[in-house]
This record gives sequence, structure tokens and C-alpha cells, in this order.
Amino acid sequence: MQFLTWLIKRLGFVILTLVAMSMLIFLLVEVMPGDVAQTVLGQSATPESVAALRESMGLDDPLPVRYGRWAGGFIQGDLGESLYMRGVQINTIFWRKVGHSVILALTALLFYVPLSIFFGVLAGVKAGKLTDSIISFFGLATMALPEFVSGILLITLFSVKLSILPITSVIPIGQSLWGNLHILILPALSITFVMFGYVSRMQRSSMVTVMNSDYIRAATLKGMPRGYVIFRHALRNALLPTITIIGMNMGWLFGGLIVVETLFGFPGLGSLTLSAIKTRDIPLIEACVLFITAIFVFSTFLTDMLYVYLNPRIRFKGGDA
Amino acid sequence: MTNDFVLQIKNLSVSYRTLNDAVSAVRNINLNVGKKESLGIIGESGCGKSTLSYALMDYLPSNGSSTGEVLFRGENLLTKTQKEMMAFRGNRIAMVYQNPYSSLNPSLTIGYQLDEVTMFHRGYKAKKARKASVEALADLYIGDPAGVARRYPHQVSGGMQQRICIAMALLCRPDLIILDEPTTALDVTTEVVILDIIGELKEKYDMSMIYISHDIGVINKVSDRIAVMYRGEVVEVGDQRTIFKHPEHPYTRALINCMPRAGVVKEEVRLNTIPGYVARRSAADTGCPFVDRCEKRNADCEAKYGMIERASGHFAACDRAYAEDVPDRKRAALKIPKVGNGSAKEEILLEISDLYKYYGNQHRRVRALDGVSVSLEKNSVLGVVGESGCGKSTMGHTISGLMAPTKGKILFDGIDISISWKQRTPEVLRDIQLIFQNPGRSLNPSFTLEKIIGRPMKKLLGIQSREERKKRIVDILQKVDLGEEYLYRKATQLSGGEKQRAAVARAFSIAPDLIVCDEPTSALDVSVQASVLNLLGDLQNESGAAYIFISHDLNVINYISDYIMVMYLGRICEYGRKDEVVGPPYHPYTQALLSAVPDVDPSLIREPVRLEGSPPNPTRKITGCPFAGRCHRKIGPICDTTPPPKVQASDDHYIMCHLPLDQLGDAELDKPGNLTKTESLMKTVKA
Ligand code: SF4
Ligand code: SF4
Repeated sequence: MQFLTWLIKRLGFVILTLVAMSMLIFLLVEVMPGDVAQTVLGQSATPESVAALRESMGLDDPLPVRYGRWAGGFIQGDLGESLYMRGVQINTIFWRKVGHSVILALTALLFYVPLSIFFGVLAGVKAGKLTDSIISFFGLATMALPEFVSGILLITLFSVKLSILPITSVIPIGQSLWGNLHILILPALSITFVMFGYVSRMQRSSMVTVMNSDYIRAATLKGMPRGYVIFRHALRNALLPTITIIGMNMGWLFGGLIVVETLFGFPGLGSLTLSAIKTRDIPLIEACVLFITAIFVFSTFLTDMLYVYLNPRIRFKGGDA
Repeated sequence: MTNDFVLQIKNLSVSYRTLNDAVSAVRNINLNVGKKESLGIIGESGCGKSTLSYALMDYLPSNGSSTGEVLFRGENLLTKTQKEMMAFRGNRIAMVYQNPYSSLNPSLTIGYQLDEVTMFHRGYKAKKARKASVEALADLYIGDPAGVARRYPHQVSGGMQQRICIAMALLCRPDLIILDEPTTALDVTTEVVILDIIGELKEKYDMSMIYISHDIGVINKVSDRIAVMYRGEVVEVGDQRTIFKHPEHPYTRALINCMPRAGVVKEEVRLNTIPGYVARRSAADTGCPFVDRCEKRNADCEAKYGMIERASGHFAACDRAYAEDVPDRKRAALKIPKVGNGSAKEEILLEISDLYKYYGNQHRRVRALDGVSVSLEKNSVLGVVGESGCGKSTMGHTISGLMAPTKGKILFDGIDISISWKQRTPEVLRDIQLIFQNPGRSLNPSFTLEKIIGRPMKKLLGIQSREERKKRIVDILQKVDLGEEYLYRKATQLSGGEKQRAAVARAFSIAPDLIVCDEPTSALDVSVQASVLNLLGDLQNESGAAYIFISHDLNVINYISDYIMVMYLGRICEYGRKDEVVGPPYHPYTQALLSAVPDVDPSLIREPVRLEGSPPNPTRKITGCPFAGRCHRKIGPICDTTPPPKVQASDDHYIMCHLPLDQLGDAELDKPGNLTKTESLMKTVKA
């Protein structure tokens, strides 16, 4: 029962955060310099036509009314109309791009999570030995490289030298992502580069702590084989902090996609956000930023759930003797 | 080769490589453990006793290495690979550790952790393994063993966790069980029951046992033979009585005399102390390990140093324990010139009335203090004793102002101080000082002692001149046996005992009227504890400050206090003059505590009162007697429903119990209707 109240509380908190963030985003965009109607109509428009457009867009209504209209639309799934591409419903382009980004993020996750956990655990078990030093060095080195540097390195190697992968990750007109999955590899790899060092170091240090704990010593002195001790006794406890880190970085991952997607020309949320900012397409900016925020909030929430599930000390709190 | 020994340790040495040199943790140990024999190993921290136990299991950190032989039934374990060792560990040799909570994996159920032992060593299938596990738990008198098996370690009490660890060790019926301080983290009344069970199961399964502890009393209870370790060496080994009655080695004798024990009080005896502390030993260091602290040292003693059989089965490295060429140091009792000699009462310094402290929220309210009233005279020591969770520390904290009480009044010299320190006047802050259990944490590590002790002098006494302060600091440092050279040392450069001395010096430097000592010696080794206790006694006597001395150790409380207050679950059970509290008539809980304290002298060991269960949940509202859930003298429903009356046994001796005074004596323990040993053991603990 306690778990349920906890869950409801957390969910309430998630919604509250989202509402607060949406207000903040709305306000921020509000204070951005420049008049929307003027932007839309161009510098040569007459004051009358600007005024008329303002009127028809409802820009003269008081702030709360405009926020209510905007947020209400969001809740009903209406993201509004693009300013830059007049007459285009944001919905029609937005979700396709989000889908692309989600697939890219998941691919990256699929690459770096097993890799960094595996090598992190290995380094932790072999702490102080040569294996550990090599892994730690590699992790540090990749962590120090920004995405665009590692991306360019990857492009040079795989596209230019070996020519096995395309330089850009553009989807040819008229085709879908599913037919062009290989374009995911390079962007996903360059994200992996950034995340690997971070996550594997985390995994290593928690593994070292766990391996030095009393209960691992106790398990070993119970005569359990080493591999069993590592996988059954150590891993689960050592994964907890790593899971938190991975979850917390989900939001960051989506934000970080901007650089990678731009570099590779990948048609996802990142490049959409960037072009929206460039063209001052306010409704689109709002949709993109709010969506990234939502991912942040939900991934943190899911992380907490998973953490609670894996950690009986939290799961059963209050039910003790 | 077959013989009667289960374990033979031959010339075992263990050393650790460090950056600069090799540290010798264990050296040249020769010990045998016979069939069904119980060998106790005693020593202070850093003597190598734990290292020894891990060396026996061939389990050393990567910078450690061992030489010599460990023969287990004739097979040398030190030449086995880690893989080969798996067949011994947990199967034929099992271990139990000091801290049960951290020795159990927090994310696996208790049953899982038990089952895997038989599944690996015996090849049992899951069902059969669980059956064996449940039986093992039942062996340890755990109620509802099947239910407990489904729980996680954090869902059961500390005493229960240790029972589970012992059950785990016994699953494969090992030939040898090694117990490394298994009861040190537990309360005394829990300890008694665990020690009982260990003894019983050892008989039942014909095991040999190595029991490691720093506590002479505990070792006494459980061992047939005792080995005394000092700085990595066994300095003396012999059967239990010989070691206590006729020790040959000066260290053994000194160690035994350091322990506060029943009947030893500050008015009569000064505790023996061993000067200095246990220093780390490098591999190059040879000769007598005790030489820098030994009182009995003379010109040629070291030449004769060496392990020799002094009497049949009694080996000692030195036989000068009672050597007369170096006379024993005089151990004068504290002169206690109590003003007023009992007739005229001292003035009241502190008066606590109806004090309550609650933690938590409405759903989970912990009643740490549940209506405590007591007063303290000037120039006297009030000992507060009880097990963990009884509220004794909370009481100290409310008096010293670390937290404000929920309800109730604390009058200090007529001033109401039931507020936190932030609201107190500078005079009150100066007049009440606090000494903590862990001196390391209360001293800023980057400050020199001059600064640490000087700060309160400047702030609270308003001494602005640095020279003046320095003079006073040197003065006080000398009083706590730290020389002038300590003035510029930093806290990190001090040993545990020196840190506590520095903390004492700081507390006394501003001449307070009241010092709250919260377990000030619990983290120290016995030899160091003795010197700090002596020091606290001396300073109290000299300065006339009053103490509230909080401890879980009844022997320590008995040594230092004038008055004793026994607490249970946030309430007072008994209060009175020291001699009256430790003698009959006593509250049933006091009686249980007294009987549970392991005594140093084997001939004084009493049949302890065994309490069932562990202290109940402090969040429960108590309507009757707080002790009713575990009381061995419980009368009936009245104990559960009606708060016991405060019965005045003498001038200032009060007992909170429904039983009439004349039934609260010693003899009552043997009357029919009271629990006998087996009966109380059969009363299994519920989780
Ligand atoms: S050899 Fe000398 S210094 Fe060492 S314990 Fe014996 S008497 Fe003391
Ligand atoms: S009042 Fe009852 S339960 Fe409490 S100590 Fe006395 S006899 Fe035991």
C-alpha cells in the first residue's frame, strides 16, 4: 500500500513539474525579442496588416488566456501551426522526427549500455590490474572528446577511409528510416563514445565498492565460485547507481542529439529544434523544448521506479519487524 | 598423517606490502585446535586477530602474503588454490562475522542466501535446500523460519541477523567454525542468548570453534583454551582458568586488570592502564612486541623472550607478570572527599521533569524519551545505562542542547534550558559541555590542538590574549597527560585515545559545571578506555563538575558513577545510588542487564537471565510497563495495561515495577515460575 501512495505522489510530482516547465517555456519564448506577426509578414508589412494578423492570431489577448489556449491545445494533442511553414500543422512533421530520434537514442542506448556496463564491471573486478588501467584510460579518453570531434573521427574512418557507411545520415526522399537503418550506426557510435566513459567509470566504482563489501567477502568464504559471486551477489547491487546515471542522462541524451543530428544531417528532433530556433518558429520551438523536458521528467521517474524495484531496502520500507 | 587436531597452525606469518615497507600483521603463530575444542583468541584492535582468521581461510587482500602452514585435518590449506579452497569454505570451515547486517546481501532474500550453501556444497535441489535452510533457522530458535526465509535481511532485527549468519555457517555441519566478534555489535541481553545458542549447537554438532573477541568477559564464557595476541604475536596460551588466575605474561595480566568489572568502583580502585598504544609493526621489528609499554621490563628480560611451555599446556613468551624485581605500580584509589559527607545534601544542579522527545511524524512516531524525570546534584556523576534505542543518547542531546525536547522542562541552575543551543545564553553554553563517542569526528582535523582548545576559550571565556590562552591550554593538556609538544599537533596526527584526551581537555578548558559524556570510551580499546576513565574520574574530582555519563556498558557505568539510572524504551526503570542499583532489590530489567554482563573473572560468572525477543518497536504506544514484552518476572495483564508505580526502596532509590519490593531480590530468580535456561531458549524470537 505504501508503494502505491508513493507512486501516486511521484506521479503528481511529475505532472506538477511538467506544468511548471510549460509555463516557464511559454514565458521564455514570450520575452524573446521581436514581434511574431512582424516576423511572419516580413519587414515590409504595413502596421495595419501586422495589427490584423496579431488580432487573428490572438496575440493581443492577456498572457494567461494565451497560455491556457496553448496548453489546452497541447493536452488535446494539438501542437499548433508552424509559423515558418505557414499552414503546416506541427503534428504532421513533429512526431515523425521524434520517432526518428527515439530510434536513434534507443540504438545508442543499445550500444553503450551493455558495452559500458560490461567493461565497467570488468574493470571493477580487476581493479588495480592492467585490464582496469586500459579500460579506465579508454573511458577517460572518449569522455574528453566532444561529440563533433568523435563524430568527425568516425566519419573519416568509416566513410572516407573504409567507405562502408554513408557520410551523412539523411533519409532519401520517399523512403522511410526502416529501409535505411545503417544510417543510425555512426551517430549512435558517436553518442556511445561520449557516454561510455561516463557510465563505465560509474559502473567500475560501484563494482569496486560492492566487491569490497562484507557480504561479498561472506559469500566468497561460504565457498561460492567467483563467477557466481560476481553475477549473483555483486552485480545487482552494483547496477543500482549505474541505472540511476543512465536514466538521468536520458534527457541529456535527447538534448545532446542536437549536435550529433546536425553533424550527420539526421532528420530527428535535434535538427528540428535547431532549425526551429534558426527560423524563430515559436510554436515549434515550444513543442520541441517541452517534449525534451517531458522526456527528462519521465525518464527520471522511470529510473526511480526501476531503482525501487531492484532495491528491496526501499521497496519494503516500513514493512520491517 | 592423522591426529586429534582439527586445525594446526604452524609458524604462520602474514605481512602486507605497503608503499614504503612491509607491515607484519601476524607473525610466527603456532596454535592447535583439538576436536570439539573451543579456542578463544583475545586481543585489542590491531593485534592481528582478524587477519589471522582470514589467513586460516586463505583469504587475504592482494597485497597480503602468508608463510607457514595451516593444517586442516592434515591438509595444508595455504598450498591450495582458490578453487580448491571452495570445498573447505562454508562447508568444513565456516565463519561468522562481527557485523551481521553488512555480511548479508541486501538484495537477496535470507532463504536464497541460505539455500545456495547446500546447493553448492551438497548438490541439493532447490526444494531440499530450502528444507535444510528452514531447519537450520529453527535450530537457532527462530520463530516462523519459513516466513523469515522469505524476507530480506533488513526486515529483521540485528540479533536475528546474527542468528541467520550462524545458521548459515552451520548448514553443512562444519568441523570448525570461526567466530570473529560475533556479538560485539549486539546488545548485552541479545548477546547472552546468542552465546548460549552457540555453546549449545557446538555440543550438538561436535564442532571445534575459534572465538575471536576483544572482550575478556565474552571469551571467558565460551572458551576452553585462550590465546592472547599482541601486535601480531600470540604471547600466551593456556586453558581458561590458568590464563585468568595465573597469567605469566605481563601483557595478559595488564589487560585483565584494565577491564572495569563488577565490584570495581572508582572509590576503591584505580583501573590499571597500559601506557601508550598499539603501534603498527614493521616486518623488520623483532624482539618482545610489548617492550615499549611494559611495566615489568628490566635489563635482560628481552634476551629471555620466547614462547616456552611454562606448565603443561600453558605457553607464554615471558613469565614476568608478577616479577618482583620491578614492583607493581601503586594504584591508589581516587580520593573522594565528598563535601557534606552524605549528611547534608548537595545542591541540585540539573532538574529534568517529565521530559518527552518524539521523532518522526504522526504515522511513525518514535518515542525516544517518554516522560523522564530525574535530578542531578552538583559535583556528582549520574550514569545512564540501557541498550540501544532506550533513549539515553537522546537524553544527553536534549540536555546539551543538540536538540530541543518535545515536551517537559530541564532546569539548569534554575534556568530553563529546554531549548536548543542556538537559543541558549553564552553562560549556559559554557557551563554545559559534551564529550562524544567518536572523538575523531568532533575535532576539526585541520586544526591544531591549540586552535581546537583555544577557540571555546576565546569565544566563551572571552580570553583574548593568545599567550594567556596558550598558558592555560598547556596546563590542561598536562592534566590529560598530553605534553606541551601536543600544542601544535593536528587532530589527524593523534591516536584514538589521544583524540579522546584532547576532547576531554577541550571540554574542561572552560571550567564547565556539567559535562555530558556520551559513550566516551566505547570506541576505545580496553587499555585506553581504562586510562580515559581514570582521567575523567580524576578531573571530575578535582574540578567539581557534574557528569551525565551515558553508556551501554554497565561495568563502566558502575565504575564511574555515583548514581545510576537504568532506561528502557524511553522510560526510567530504576534510579538510585550506585551501590543500591547494582544490588537487590532491583528492577527485573536491571537484574537481566547485570546478569548478562560477561564478567572478567570466570569464577564470578552467573547464570544469566535470558530475555526473549528484542526490544519492541519504539513507535508503539506503551500503556503499561515498557519492559512487559520481555520481562521474565511479568505478573500478568496488569503489566501490559497499567504503568508501574514508582516505588521508593530507600532514601533515593526508586524502582518502577508492579512487583512488591521484597520480591525483587536475587533469590527470586530460582523460584518456580521463573524461566529456566532451556525454557527461555525455547521461547523463540519472532521477527
Ligand atoms: S620480555 Fe620484558 S618487556 Fe617483554 S613482556 Fe617480558 S618483561 Fe615485558
Ligand atoms: S511491571 Fe511487570 S513487566 Fe514491568 S518490570 Fe515489573 S514485573 Fe516486569
